[in-house]
Amino acid sequence: MFDKLIKIFKDFTLSELLLGMSVTAKELVNTKITVQFPEERTPISPRFRGIHALRRYPNGEERCIACKLCEAVCPANAITIESEMRDDGTRRTTQYDIDLFKCIYCGFCEEACPVDAIVETQIFDYAFESREGSVLTKERLLEIGDENKKLIDKTKLEDSKYR
Amino acid sequence: MFEIEIDGKLVNAEAGEKLIEVTDRVGISVPRFCYHEKLSVAANCRMCLVDVEGAPKPQPACSTPVSEGMKVSTQNEKAKSAQKSVMEFLLINHPLDCPICDQGGECELQDVAMSYGSNVSRFNEGKRVIADSNIGALIHTDMTRCIHCTRCVRFGTEIAGIMEMGGTGRGESLKIEPFLNEGIQSELSGNMIDVCPVGALTSKPFRYELRSWQMNSTESIARHDLVGSNINVQTYKGKVKRIVARSNDSVNETWISDRDRFSYEGLSHSNRLLKPQVKFDGTWKEVSWEVALDFCVKGLLRSAGESNSMNSLGVLASKTATLEEYYLLQKLVSELGCENIDYRLGVKDTKNTINLESNVKLSDLEKIDHALIVGSYTRLEQPMINHRLRKAALRGGTVDVINSMQFDFNLALNNENIIIPCEIANLLASTLKVVLESTNQDVPEELNKLTITKSATKIAKKLLSSDASVIVLGEHVINNDNAKNISNLVAMLAKNTNSSTLNLSKTGNSIAADIAGFFPGKDGLDVNSMLGKDMNAYIMFDVYPEYDFHNSSTAIKALSDKNSFIVSMNSFYNNNVADYSDVMLPISSYYETSGTHVNIEGEFQTFAASVKAPQESKPAWKVIKVLADLLDISGFNYSDSSNVLEEAKHNIKQGHRAEESINITDTNSVEVIWQPSPYSIDALLRHSDSLQETKIGQINKATMNSSTAKHLNLGDKDDYLGVPVVISSLVANNCVFINANKSTPSEEQA
Ligand code: SF4
Ligand code: SF4
Ligand code: SF4
Ligand code: FES
Repeated sequence: MFDKLIKIFKDFTLSELLLGMSVTAKELVNTKITVQFPEERTPISPRFRGIHALRRYPNGEERCIACKLCEAVCPANAITIESEMRDDGTRRTTQYDIDLFKCIYCGFCEEACPVDAIVETQIFDYAFESREGSVLTKERLLEIGDENKKLIDKTKLEDSKYR
Repeated sequence: MFEIEIDGKLVNAEAGEKLIEVTDRVGISVPRFCYHEKLSVAANCRMCLVDVEGAPKPQPACSTPVSEGMKVSTQNEKAKSAQKSVMEFLLINHPLDCPICDQGGECELQDVAMSYGSNVSRFNEGKRVIADSNIGALIHTDMTRCIHCTRCVRFGTEIAGIMEMGGTGRGESLKIEPFLNEGIQSELSGNMIDVCPVGALTSKPFRYELRSWQMNSTESIARHDLVGSNINVQTYKGKVKRIVARSNDSVNETWISDRDRFSYEGLSHSNRLLKPQVKFDGTWKEVSWEVALDFCVKGLLRSAGESNSMNSLGVLASKTATLEEYYLLQKLVSELGCENIDYRLGVKDTKNTINLESNVKLSDLEKIDHALIVGSYTRLEQPMINHRLRKAALRGGTVDVINSMQFDFNLALNNENIIIPCEIANLLASTLKVVLESTNQDVPEELNKLTITKSATKIAKKLLSSDASVIVLGEHVINNDNAKNISNLVAMLAKNTNSSTLNLSKTGNSIAADIAGFFPGKDGLDVNSMLGKDMNAYIMFDVYPEYDFHNSSTAIKALSDKNSFIVSMNSFYNNNVADYSDVMLPISSYYETSGTHVNIEGEFQTFAASVKAPQESKPAWKVIKVLADLLDISGFNYSDSSNVLEEAKHNIKQGHRAEESINITDTNSVEVIWQPSPYSIDALLRHSDSLQETKIGQINKATMNSSTAKHLNLGDKDDYLGVPVVISSLVANNCVFINANKSTPSEEQA
């Protein structure tokens, strides 16, 4: 009985309409949050998990030691690695593929890596033109690492405090 | 039998047992590193500490004998903290390199550290680093990872019989290292990889290729020797990547020979025959299976000629086929009406060769109290059988040897007779005479004129005085001029001294060949008569003429000169085969086909294929089956190789029995014993690069003493029958012992 009375009162004073209009009125004067992608970008957390990269040591040597832990941990079976003993006696990959169609960007590979070789970068706006393009090869991954070295180093440094 | 209490559970124990044996039996897990079922107890790692009620300190389970009323806890505070501390100590110097360690994923240290280790290290000082030395082509060392369990050292002294690894220094500077710089030389060395609980010793050919969790494992049988060691074949993407031992106490215990462990490398050799090929006008063309088989059928039928008789077809096989392959090929040709079939390619005279039963179980072999070895270097030729003999010797058994060269046995010899091959029969005969005389039996006429030598008396005494003795007859005598006599003499000696016999000359899978009836029929020709005749056609099963035939050049000449139609089934490409054949059919090699190996006990060991035969090569039994279908022969409706086995089991053939007569002939010229070196006895081994690199793989020498060399006008820079001469006093006078990894002699042998 009481609820009904309140409803009748609200309906006749148009209070809900006014409430809605007030939001519109407020947003009319507020600053805008829309960004003009790709010219403008929103800030991204250093932990963002975008496309992968393979890193190198400062002396240019690739970090990856073909331990295959990332391959083993990957829940999507997206990583394929073949390894061998390189001529200098070190353990290296001969093939390192990540299938981006399979990858679910969980970041487990990065977590598993004992030498911080495979990382997920902040880059998320990438595209490929053929089906095969979805497979990142070792060369491509190292290339991404080289191109974005500064960015990767920066984000990893920021995140290192919380590890 | 009494009861003891472990973790609150009452369990049965036998007096004299060690605590760890009891816990293992009832399934209570106690961590351990140095303890190994088949090795002596060293109790040096202290990982197995458990709390025994009444003892002031935790006790090592591996060396504490059980006693009645014992109360043990493997889990209480005291035990746990002891185990944890030991783990911490072990990890002090162990490098953190699991990610690049090949043992990672199957490492005992890793597993135990997961359950008993702590997650932080309190050790901030520098870790110890050990420099590695190259110990050969088979084993890679990373000695920084060694935890000094001494399993490898004990394996060397106790099982392999050569102390190759040893510890030097003590405490922090204790190092396990090979004593010699020449690398590991044992024929069983690969087992050290298996016993090493960590990644200090790992397989070199396998290095850095795969992680243990990536491979599939199938059970199989190794076929390079007479025991048929049980193995696990580990494969990845259709390729054999590694072979490890599988325990079977009645066959190989937990050990396998290096031959069995590393021969898989040959499977991916570039020399594999991968496509069927047919020779058109003298040039080889790769064709489809249909075309190739059709060509075979037409050729075989044409060779039968107008009379349509297959009397002029010869069928030869190597010793490496499976029982099923022997049986089917034999069935195929006998249905065609041909009886010329043989596998004894390396035998000079099949009428005068060894024909002896083996009648001792492998597990009984280690319980014998005396062995007489005739014409064999068991250590390299049959490593697993030698291992059993060595165990017997260690238990107090004695071993006598009659050989033509002094070999480096790894067991103590009681009495070593180094005599020229033609005297072996005489020595055995006079031994028999002594035996017969001392047991008051009639001495046959043939033996009457023999003089009894001192060595014969010694050998006879020993055989007569032992309760469980065995006479081992080896490969060196198969081509002896008195081979048949020797074989008969051994049989008679065994009968009259109550000894068992072991015939080591039936190498490869030849016992299966006999069972399958793969020998000439009543009117059939044996291998040598076939080669001497004008055969119209041949079917050759995995034959590599320069290695398999007793005399390669005559055989190759006989096969290529005459205009016979030759069908060759091979798994590896071979120039000579390509020269004389008209069709080459690529067949499966080891681990690529299902089949059966019959070992020296007569045990049928069946295995499944571990991988598919590569490219267009096919399992041989299927090829034979299809050939039979195309030749319109009925009775070949097998869907599986197990059907073939069933049928073969119902048709077991008896090898021909030799009549017991002795008629010893004398020779005066220089005698040659030709023995392929241990790693060149079959095609797969010859294509295994790492094995070929080892000391044993490199053996290639014609050994003779200086007076024989003078007689033959040879120096130590010369070759004899194509093999480098080595002058040494270890060989009997007037005898040349050839151990070759190359082809058989290319000139007529002495
Ligand atoms: S992010 Fe996850 S799914 Fe993608 S490759 Fe790494 S582990 Fe696999
Ligand atoms: S990327 Fe890292 S985890 Fe993956 S194989 Fe290389 S080193 Fe191992
Ligand atoms: S090398 Fe391996 S088996 Fe030998 S002592 Fe070291 S850890 Fe033990
Ligand atoms: S296993 Fe008992 S001390 Fe090593």
